Amino acid sequence: MNIRLSRKTIEYLLLLLVLVIVFVVPVFIQSPTYLQILIILFFYAYLTTSWNLVGGFAGVLPLGHSAFVGIGAYTSTVLYLHYGLSPWIGMFVGGIFAAIVGVIIGKPTFKMRGAYFALATIAFGEGIRVMIENINKIGPFVINGPRGLLIPLKGNSFVNFQFMSKVPYYYIILIMLVIVVAITYIISKQRIGYYLGGGGEEPEAAQALGVNVAKYKLIAMALSCFLTALAGTFYAQLMLYFYPKGLLSLDVSFEIAFIALIGGRGTIAGPVIGALLLRPLNEFSRIYLSGFLPGLHLVIFGLILILVMIYLPRGLHEPLSKVYHWFLDTLVKAINGGEVKQ
Amino acid sequence: MDIILQATVNGICMGSIYGLAALGLTVIFGVIKVINFAHGSLLMVGMYAAYWLILFTGIHPYLALIVVVPLLFFFGYFMQDIVIKPVFKAERDVREPITVIVVTTGVWYLLDNLALMLFGAKYRVITTSITGKSFSLGDIIVSTPKFYGFVITIITAVFLFWFLKKTRMGKAIRAASFDRDAASLMGIKQYKIYNIAFGIGTAIAGIVGCVLIPFYYVFPTVGVVFDIRCFIIVVLGGLGSIHGAVLGGIIIGLIESVFSQFMASTWTEGIIYAIFLLILFIKPSGLFGARQDW
Amino acid sequence: MILLDIQNVTKRFGGLTAVDSVNLSIEKGQIFGLIGPNGSGKSTLFNCITGVYQPTSGKVMFQDQEITGLKPWDIAKMHIARTFQLVKPFGTKTVLYNVMVGSFARTTSPAKARDVAIEVLERLHLADKKDILAKNLTIADRKRLELARALATKPKLLLLDEVMAGLRPTEVEEMLDILRGLRDGGMTIFVIEHIMRAIMSISDRVLAINFGKWIAEGTPAEVANDEMVIKAYLGDDYVIT
Repeated sequence: MNIRLSRKTIEYLLLLLVLVIVFVVPVFIQSPTYLQILIILFFYAYLTTSWNLVGGFAGVLPLGHSAFVGIGAYTSTVLYLHYGLSPWIGMFVGGIFAAIVGVIIGKPTFKMRGAYFALATIAFGEGIRVMIENINKIGPFVINGPRGLLIPLKGNSFVNFQFMSKVPYYYIILIMLVIVVAITYIISKQRIGYYLGGGGEEPEAAQALGVNVAKYKLIAMALSCFLTALAGTFYAQLMLYFYPKGLLSLDVSFEIAFIALIGGRGTIAGPVIGALLLRPLNEFSRIYLSGFLPGLHLVIFGLILILVMIYLPRGLHEPLSKVYHWFLDTLVKAINGGEVKQ
Repeated sequence: MDIILQATVNGICMGSIYGLAALGLTVIFGVIKVINFAHGSLLMVGMYAAYWLILFTGIHPYLALIVVVPLLFFFGYFMQDIVIKPVFKAERDVREPITVIVVTTGVWYLLDNLALMLFGAKYRVITTSITGKSFSLGDIIVSTPKFYGFVITIITAVFLFWFLKKTRMGKAIRAASFDRDAASLMGIKQYKIYNIAFGIGTAIAGIVGCVLIPFYYVFPTVGVVFDIRCFIIVVLGGLGSIHGAVLGGIIIGLIESVFSQFMASTWTEGIIYAIFLLILFIKPSGLFGARQDW
Repeated sequence: MILLDIQNVTKRFGGLTAVDSVNLSIEKGQIFGLIGPNGSGKSTLFNCITGVYQPTSGKVMFQDQEITGLKPWDIAKMHIARTFQLVKPFGTKTVLYNVMVGSFARTTSPAKARDVAIEVLERLHLADKKDILAKNLTIADRKRLELARALATKPKLLLLDEVMAGLRPTEVEEMLDILRGLRDGGMTIFVIEHIMRAIMSISDRVLAINFGKWIAEGTPAEVANDEMVIKAYLGDDYVIT
């Protein structure tokens, strides 16, 4: 039989296959522990992809993004605990709030040079965390300071964004991840993507070509913060408990950034690849090695980051991309019976 | 009023120690134009080194300087040589050298977690011959180790100033910081200078480690607090300025000490961050720094 | 008709006067040259026109509309394009990507932007290199890329800052041909250049400045023989009196 398929078609089919496999996983994997691991993996992949809109496309290094995760979680939870507002709606309120805060922070900081910008985002991130830890109540809203917020168990309730099984959470975060990757892809192909790419690399040249670099960076920031906050709400509803030191910490901010950097910032697949490689490493070394060597997984993480920055500064995406293309070529040849049709 | 006076004296002493730590960071920046995000972690390494040394030999903390300072000098020297140099070279022409920032952040991460892994999260404390001692200046009680810290800071700053101005190596370092290419044309080995400058900056962090040991807790993430303080001080005082670092440190120490008489220490933390952000927005070159064109 | 009218523009930086009361008018379809020794304020004048700097005083009029102090991106939107003396390609992106950033100034459609970009690249003989990363180009190609990017914004007025610096004689000739072609197509070009024979051979009118001040204006021949100009470039010894 002589099937002739173009390279692009085969690529789409591969993507479809991967999506089908991923969506079908819960049918075969029932263990809540493993599902939880996958959920957290997609959670981080989502966070780094959202981070990438600013840290990759806009060319700056934000190191305080966990603050927006926190804003999302706190906003939706406080509205739910106080008004009974469905976390689904609270999620979007949190997102908008985060976007506004992001723009307020971005306006003065985007004018700064690299290291100063990084420092400023660290200061903001830590500042917001410190502020939340010091506040017990804002008006009628209970924040609980360092102790964090607890969401009462309501059992299976879609409106209250709570499920007894891990499976719905799995699908929700998966769909969120697919959407965020799709958004990144679309942006990269549209004018805004080009403007961000050029503006991040050579702002003066971009400006001379008609790009209001500052405006586009702020748009990217608003979008990134909005999306990041949505994940905050998801986390709150998944764990039903969160506290400042855990969710808004520098560690989380760093991990988000590092995963994107190791995977390849500025690319579409880079952050996801980073999460796919690093999170399992993290989880398994934590589960199996923490007994006698606590923190080893983080040591390994730091080491990988340093090595990648020295030898593959553009991230693992580059060499892996070559492998992928080789694989794709081989597949195309095999399917088309030895001929390669472009 | 007395409380404020007491807090002021305390703040000046502790602040000078912060300033000393910031001094190390500012030297590295002034010469290599790199902000070493791992500076706090290197300070932590110095503290642990001093801790174990004193624990096993019982020597006076300031004698520990003899071992810790050279140890940290070489640590810094090789960190610059092995880790930062290759990244730095690759990014020479890039407009925003982000990778250098990332790699030093990676070292921060690595060192802190390595310490956690090897030494555990335990908060350690060591009693030395000057721990807990104090003397009185009128109605004010001055903590002896903190006061010595103040003295050591001044001595180190003056020595550093002399070194950079009068010695051959110091002049070479200053030359390399003004114009790397011109300096290397004059026979100054650029990267060797950078290694030495990094070594000096890290050695200063080692001094701080020894100074802190008599009264400060030792734990894996102790560096983070100092790291962030150092950034704030260095931006406040002006990157590359020796007196800026010391004065900036004292200012921060004063704010911390005086304000915490009136509010929870976590709020003073927040105030310091707020001041930091204000400076970044209004006058990023700091009080004494040159306008940075980088 | 006068396309660009610079009226008494002055730019001071603290105590230094970089541009001192410069006046000039450029007609539509002209190639207008700007010469002067290093540091005479040529690039600063460009920056004052394109919004990178705000003039300390004076007015810049484009097509009878005042554009003094507008932002660079708004000026680009008004069909004024410029290149930089030190080229600034988006190094990690392909040649095509670079030019598309320019062509997106006139359309939001990626397909149209791509078409325009390829058209411009073909005109400048760079189309075969469209997928190469900009940082891997030779200096001559980078200069052409810089020009291509600017052209993709479909300008009416093109400001070129030493676009021929660093090129070999044959490459200079190629560039001159391209510029002549553009002028024949109706473009107005304002050129800063150091390579005398290049700028003199292509300009319709030339303005010479030194220390930010006007010293001579006229046809290339008139300016080349001007006493003040010769003094400025070669010093007092070379003036033929």
